[in-house]
Amino acid sequence: MTAIAISGLTKTFGRTTALDGLDLTVEEGEVHGFLGPNGSGKTTTIRVLLGLLRADAGKVELLGGDPWADAVALHRRLAYVPGDVILWPGVTGGEVIDVLGRLRGGLDRKRRDELLERFDLDPSKKARAYSKGNRQKVALIAALASDAELLLLDEPTSGLDPLMESEFQRCVQQLKRDGRTVLLSSHILAEVEALCDRVSIIRLGRTVESGTLTELRHLTRTSISVETAAPVTGIDGLPGVHDAVLNEHHARFDVDSQGLEPVMKRLAALGVRSITSTPPTLEEMFLRHYGDES
Amino acid sequence: MIGTLLRFSLRRERIGLPLWIGGAALLFLVQSTQSQNLYGDPEQLAKLRATLGGNTAVVAMSGPLELLDTIGGEIVFEIFAFIAIVIALMNMFLVGRHTRGDEEAGRAELIRSARVGRREPVYSALALAALADLVVAAVIFAVAAGTGLPVTGSLLVATALFGIGLLFAALTAVAAQVFEHVRGVYGAVGLVIGAAYMLRAAGDAGTTALSWASPIGWGQRTFPYVQDRWWPVLLMLGAAVLATVVALVALDRRDFGAGLVRSRPGSPVASRLLGTPVGLAWRLQRGAVFGWTLGVGMLGAAYGSLGDSIEQYIVDNPEVAEFLPGGASDIVDSYLALTLTMGALLAAAFGVASVLRARSEETAGRAEPILATGVHRDAYLGSHLNVALAGSALVLLAAGFFEGLSYGLTVGDPGQALRMLGVALVYLPAVWAVVSVAVLAIGWWARAAAIAGWAALGYCAVVELFADSFNLPDWSQQLSPFVHLPAAPLETVTAAPLATVGAVVLALVLTGFAGFRRRDLGY
Repeated sequence: MTAIAISGLTKTFGRTTALDGLDLTVEEGEVHGFLGPNGSGKTTTIRVLLGLLRADAGKVELLGGDPWADAVALHRRLAYVPGDVILWPGVTGGEVIDVLGRLRGGLDRKRRDELLERFDLDPSKKARAYSKGNRQKVALIAALASDAELLLLDEPTSGLDPLMESEFQRCVQQLKRDGRTVLLSSHILAEVEALCDRVSIIRLGRTVESGTLTELRHLTRTSISVETAAPVTGIDGLPGVHDAVLNEHHARFDVDSQGLEPVMKRLAALGVRSITSTPPTLEEMFLRHYGDES
Repeated sequence: MIGTLLRFSLRRERIGLPLWIGGAALLFLVQSTQSQNLYGDPEQLAKLRATLGGNTAVVAMSGPLELLDTIGGEIVFEIFAFIAIVIALMNMFLVGRHTRGDEEAGRAELIRSARVGRREPVYSALALAALADLVVAAVIFAVAAGTGLPVTGSLLVATALFGIGLLFAALTAVAAQVFEHVRGVYGAVGLVIGAAYMLRAAGDAGTTALSWASPIGWGQRTFPYVQDRWWPVLLMLGAAVLATVVALVALDRRDFGAGLVRSRPGSPVASRLLGTPVGLAWRLQRGAVFGWTLGVGMLGAAYGSLGDSIEQYIVDNPEVAEFLPGGASDIVDSYLALTLTMGALLAAAFGVASVLRARSEETAGRAEPILATGVHRDAYLGSHLNVALAGSALVLLAAGFFEGLSYGLTVGDPGQALRMLGVALVYLPAVWAVVSVAVLAIGWWARAAAIAGWAALGYCAVVELFADSFNLPDWSQQLSPFVHLPAAPLETVTAAPLATVGAVVLALVLTGFAGFRRRDLGY
């Protein structure tokens, strides 16, 4: 089953094109990373999924329904954490959690109290007294205390300290075990690497990459650092090798996945003494996608 | 640093400020030309003096009778209090926004982290207000002298308004130290403005001493164009300096972001009531509902207490009653109708502010988490509309009930309270009609919703309060729902106009909801 199926989604505001033919598929039960630089259209996509914005063109299906027409029915089955949590200054955090839970159709009180404990949040403070991180916790607890089958999380850990961040990761891993679906928009690539089954990277309102982390790594380069018996030659001429630094018996270079085989053959001929190969981090993939073109 | 802050503030106010200044000047311009047309020659002015002499209602609405000795004074009599209120509100919003408003929103923190001292934002806000007051005074002086009024009196009117503006700017600075929220600041200063108007009403119509408790009263009692008395201006300036000192002392004694009134921790769990959209809307607005009900109720009580003195005057001067259509009983009823209209306009003001909350919550980003739950758009907009309709009805009924009660007590007929409660209901369709314009705008022209709502109210207020003195042509008044309703208790109430206005309300609201259902939210 597919939880989210978006194809060719377009949304413009006046003369600005926020989404320009975006595609996104999230399968049920997966944690899907949603990556892109600021202003690339992540939040707009989530707002379309919530039925707050109407799609100009394209097909959008959420939990088998139309997010614009069936908004209310669908919202009972999902929970949402906005990227910028703005609360009512005079209302306490505990009250906000309860209100959002009830408006969604009930929340698990035991889990709510347990989450308050885990995230170390004082529910009797009024929202104006909360820091950014604490406001974020209010929205997170409200979402995590629900039994929603789909969670839409828009940069949910911005403002959280590392302790809370790892608490959050444990929560998401629990969700995954429970078979729930999560769309996680994030800037923290280590978090996405740790949590996500699949990743979609968008840029200027369009999907540029989508797949499992392994698949994405195939599209990119591996860093290799090697020490050889014979002096290193003939590496920098091979197809797919980049940024090679050759120094007598030592070489450092990046190589495309397709170029690995000839490189390994050549290295074997030279006699490998030691070798480390580092798969590309998401961060490198990200930088490559956006860094190259700027 | 203050120079930089002030220039920045001016840039932020570049659109709103000219409108306030232009509005205040326009009021004077229209009044001046109109009054000189109507009462230009001394004979007409004398006749006016004779008719108004005993009309406590007009005196309570306008100012002291001493002003009626010259044509310039007559203009001041009619319009000064209203311009003073406009200028007081302008100062309240200017200073409130640039002090507590910025502090509450967190913008002030950025500013204060730069090389900006604790007091500098307050100085800058007061300087901004003083500059605005100076411009208003200059423009009004130009309008007054330009429409042919004596220069000395014109200078005095302008100076008095300048002083009132300065005083309310300083009072707002005090309130900004006391309350943690800019909403609380506006509530408190708004109450003081209302009290200043009411005190001078009671003073001018009865015990003169009460006028001296009101800055608006000080302004009117400079008697421009009549006695040209300058010293009350010193009262204003002295009070403004005093209030500024109080504000600075309070500022030095409090933490950034805190008020002198501390907010207490609240409940860790939500009450049962909070589980519905209406419950949440009520929770967010209940303070405003209570405040407005209390304030407008007190205003009604003050109006009602003057009803008897009007009656008494007619009893003492039966020959005046002969000139009035319907005799003595009608003058009280026409007074009650006029003052109830004031109450209805205020109830509509509450309703507009209240329903616009649906929009401000949306732009602030607070509607998004609500609408991401199982709440339909209709239910969201409906929740704030419900509070707006019920709240404005409550405010209106409070105006009627307390006016009837205090009038009834002075004439020994407590039954007046219930009668006026019923009479007030007649105005309800018009109050709701103003609210429904805001709903329509929220649905279809979201960005202009606040402007549309307040413009609708402003239009009705101008038509109701100034149509006669401005001599507005009949056609230009037809869009006001108040014009189409009977002026109860003076005129007979029939069902047809109530039903018609009610149908318009329903149509506007339904159209507004249809628009809200189909538009993008959050933009």
